[in-house]
Amino acid sequence: MQISAFVDGELPDNEADLLLRRMGQDAEHRHRVAEYLAIGRALRGEISVAGVDRIHERVSAAIDDKPLEEAAEITGVPPAKAIRPLAGLAIAATVAVVAIFGLQQTIGVDGATPATPDATVAEFDSGYTVPRPINDQLRQYYLSHGETAKENGANGMNSRFVTLRWSEEALQESADADETPRANGVDAKPTQP
Amino acid sequence: MPLPQRQSAAALILLSGLLFAAGSVLADSPDPADWLNRMGAAVQSTSYEGTVIRIRGGEAEALKVAHKVSEGFVQEKVVAQEGNGLEIIRNGNKVHCILPDRKSVLVEEWDDQSTLFSALPSSEIRFGNEYDVAIVREDRVAGRETQLLAIRPHDGYRYGYRIWLDTETAFPLQTQLIADDGTAVEQVKFAEIRLNQEIHASALEPSYSTEDYRWFNQPARHVTRSVETEWASADLPVGFRAISMHEEKMPGSEAFVTHILYSDGLANVSVFVAELAAGQSQGPSSVGGSNSYSAVIGDHHVTAVGEVPAMTVEQIATTMRAR
Repeated sequence: MQISAFVDGELPDNEADLLLRRMGQDAEHRHRVAEYLAIGRALRGEISVAGVDRIHERVSAAIDDKPLEEAAEITGVPPAKAIRPLAGLAIAATVAVVAIFGLQQTIGVDGATPATPDATVAEFDSGYTVPRPINDQLRQYYLSHGETAKENGANGMNSRFVTLRWSEEALQESADADETPRANGVDAKPTQP
Repeated sequence: MPLPQRQSAAALILLSGLLFAAGSVLADSPDPADWLNRMGAAVQSTSYEGTVIRIRGGEAEALKVAHKVSEGFVQEKVVAQEGNGLEIIRNGNKVHCILPDRKSVLVEEWDDQSTLFSALPSSEIRFGNEYDVAIVREDRVAGRETQLLAIRPHDGYRYGYRIWLDTETAFPLQTQLIADDGTAVEQVKFAEIRLNQEIHASALEPSYSTEDYRWFNQPARHVTRSVETEWASADLPVGFRAISMHEEKMPGSEAFVTHILYSDGLANVSVFVAELAAGQSQGPSSVGGSNSYSAVIGDHHVTAVGEVPAMTVEQIATTMRAR
């Protein structure tokens, strides 16, 4: 309630000062304040739905890969053969949902395969990561995982969301990922329990 | 009776009363497994309309959702509240994603599960070893009375869950994925909802005429075949076991990849073993609450993917060996 009142600007100054000090020391407090602010923005219709614009751009790009004149013009619900496959990544209805739900991803700094494979597990510094585009192979793995878990009756609450969201990775191009300073990778560090 | 003795007696009576009251409440509380069963049925059969907010990392996203179930047939409409007017229309397994400004429709086949709540945990999960499940308290979500159900893992190799179930219908009004430190990795909640009320056909129809739209369908799914693989984790986290092993071709590739699915009954981890090739990534990545870890083992590229903490996929991926 105190956080809610603070977000709403209804907390007395002295209590707000105390709360701010606590927030400075307490990650959970900061998280809760961020959630309240986000919920408020969403309910007021102020949020930008992360990914919608990106999915739009991506789908547009995919569509534009094929000259428009080559596209079958269809009226109403089309016959099966009139539906054309969407080239490239698995851009489909899921991608649209992906766009709605939005996501971020991080991937290890070392994205390259060693020139000489070692017989042991390759060394990797997992201490930090920086954002970079997820590659096609990993994207396919995420998709396949979601499908297979579902087919086997496994109960992963998050599977659906991940399956729905992973494709947006293709939309989040981080062209300068490799140039991101190491210090900037802190926020993108995966959770390490 | 001296004052201290009277106070002690009064305290004993009060304590007895509290214990009795607590016992009565617990006795009246149904088994969490019953709530899970009710929830599973509710997700499959409940019609609803409302606004869903998804929160992750301090960001919120809002969706308008209408979901109608009639004699097992699901119709659904999901509309983003901002952006380009994106709409998802579902009739049974057929899903149309409408991009009005591009005058395009993307077509996909889905399964019978709910868009928002498929694969929720059921009481068939063996919670005994890896998880505890409990009704924590009563709460309120979207203006409705709820029961907060918590699924708590015994170690840091898997996530926990908090699920707020509508007291009347057992429909999940809010779900959270909980990390080892107790923070919510992500959550989905209804800001407002109407349950099991009449949903007009117009609420499920596209907002746009798609007569002159172009239509696209999804790529064909990759080929798979069951195999007995020699690959296995030498240090699999407790509770996980292999429930599926097969080979499959990823789109755009003719090479087969070995795919092993591990599960503890709730959390799932897939391991992909592929021939080493150029451009394969290594190390950790994450997508929402899901994590992956890739490593080079011998002349193979091994990747573990799952809705589990980062350390779980890392341990599994780096301990995969060919027996």
